[in-house]
Amino acid sequence: MKDAWLKALVGEVPLPTDLLERSKLLEFADSHHVLGQMASVWLPEVEGKTRDVIDNGLYRATFDHKMLKFEMARIERALEGSGIEPILLKGASYVAKELRAGEGRRVSDIDILVSEKDLDEIERLLLAAGWVFDEATDNEYDQNYYRTHMHELPPLRHAHRRTVIDVHHRILPRTSRIKINSNAFISGAKNLSGRKLKVFNEIDSFLHSAIHAFGDGSFDTPARTLIELRYLLADIEVSDDGALLDRAHILGGEEPLALALWALSEFFDDGRAWVLSERFKVGTNPIVRWALTSKLRNVTDAKFAKLILYIRSHYLRMPLPKLVWHILTKGYRRLRQPAVLPLPPGFE
Amino acid sequence: MTRTLSDYDRDGIVSALRAGTLEMLLGPFATRIKGTEPSLIDFLYDTYRDVPVSASLSDVTDVAINIRPPSWFRQYIRRQVIPDPGFQVPAVPLPSHMSPLAFEMGVNLVVALKCCRLITFHAGVVASDKGAILVSAGSGGGKSTLVSALMQEGYHLFSDEFALLGMENALLASYPRPVSLKNESIDIVKELAGKEWVSPVLSGTPKGKIAYRRARPDDIENANGKAETKLILFPSFNTSGEHYASRVSSSEAMMRLIPSSTNYHLLGEAAYLSLSKMVAEAEAYEISYGSTEESLTIVRDLAAGVGL
Repeated sequence: MKDAWLKALVGEVPLPTDLLERSKLLEFADSHHVLGQMASVWLPEVEGKTRDVIDNGLYRATFDHKMLKFEMARIERALEGSGIEPILLKGASYVAKELRAGEGRRVSDIDILVSEKDLDEIERLLLAAGWVFDEATDNEYDQNYYRTHMHELPPLRHAHRRTVIDVHHRILPRTSRIKINSNAFISGAKNLSGRKLKVFNEIDSFLHSAIHAFGDGSFDTPARTLIELRYLLADIEVSDDGALLDRAHILGGEEPLALALWALSEFFDDGRAWVLSERFKVGTNPIVRWALTSKLRNVTDAKFAKLILYIRSHYLRMPLPKLVWHILTKGYRRLRQPAVLPLPPGFE
Repeated sequence: MTRTLSDYDRDGIVSALRAGTLEMLLGPFATRIKGTEPSLIDFLYDTYRDVPVSASLSDVTDVAINIRPPSWFRQYIRRQVIPDPGFQVPAVPLPSHMSPLAFEMGVNLVVALKCCRLITFHAGVVASDKGAILVSAGSGGGKSTLVSALMQEGYHLFSDEFALLGMENALLASYPRPVSLKNESIDIVKELAGKEWVSPVLSGTPKGKIAYRRARPDDIENANGKAETKLILFPSFNTSGEHYASRVSSSEAMMRLIPSSTNYHLLGEAAYLSLSKMVAEAEAYEISYGSTEESLTIVRDLAAGVGL
């Protein structure tokens, strides 16, 4: 992806006038799940075929948001009387708070966070209310793996509505090398007005997004990740810049924040992010920066950069012996049971 | 001034296909095509000859499809092709001479997976000035044979794989891609239409024998047309047993059409309202017949009943 594309996705530079390039940008946005976000910026400005194509993205996001609002009410109903008030994470919280980062955003799984002490209870209540463990991970190995090592329960899928909830009890896996103060995150969350669901404030949302992007996973949705960080940083008052850096030291995850600030200044020429990263004085690994840059600029290739990020994501997740065993088991299972994409109706 | 594919010389088409800038304009969708397979070029030259194309883009495209080998060595050894729309689709690699099938299936998948502006149903549609006949049937249900037969009756081909229903107006949009014919239907349609209208046959595909019935120039000239649905048919081909036409209520027609849509569930209330309007204004029938001639007799009768 060209750097200009990233800026065009958020409306900071005009859309390419070359029609082939513009078509490719629209296809890139679609396949990287940011067409709806692009639509929320550009729909009032464009006409003709560009409008037709971009419009498709908004229909999908609208559907997702409807689904999310329905499921939010169903989660509250399932937990009624238990006193558990889960925190909505990521996309669900941006949409619920009507943030810029939520406009046109796709939401597929609903991520929620609860205290570890409430974990058994919420699992019991959700199972009683019609959610079941997703078929793909409902086996002894995965159940065990999630429960022993991960920061979340195995994904729960509603038996009828097919919607997925990921119930988290901490910010990063138990075995993660990056240590995060999950309790400080949890105690900082506030209720959505009149609801039994909570959300982070602007600073914690941004820090959580940065930790998720650069302290976990392998940067698989680079455009979406960077757009999200861009909008979330803009939601923090400039007068709170000092508070943001202080909070990062309390919560942990300084390196992910440093990478997020570096990425925003590098790819969006965000002056504020640059100043913040100078003030923050936390170094980042040049090899990681190189790999992130390569993966972003060349999303279809950059095999070596992808390998580095893949290894890094697993290195961060768990100690080496566990990791080797996990990758071997996963690889063996994939050989025996390759993933199959479903066909739409009429294509059987 | 529009130029059709046959207005270009082969070199022009080959270089546009190689560069991935061949733009095909048909109904609501502009398709950008890339590919180097000679079988693809032959197919487009034959079956899409009357379709408006441009060697460079006149606007952004809705659908992009690259017919390419699944991996580098499949360019050389037991050559294969897959349709690549730039995102993951459930398509199996096919031997390279089957690139027409890879192209048709690929474009259908992309339309089904990406289009949200129109409600898509898996159905065939023909229309006259007075309105449209929508034929809804699963794979192998005789839909394409009936569509081809109705084309011979003087109806325009609207679409063979998709009924595209607008959300504001409940009108069907025309998208006259070639009609895909399987197995026995190939000879039936050759007989009906004349064999010059049917593409060379691909044998041994995952779907059996496949050929395509080309859309006629006046079907394509009418490609920006819209039509109100007058008749909804649920056909079944049945050599033994009773042959009949029985009325299906609007609500039941709706319940039968919904599962054949790839995006109805996504579009919510607007889709519900539009589909309700369409079935309320049309008559729906389940029909069963043992021959094409018999099917035409039944449909002529029903069409006359709704003023077609």
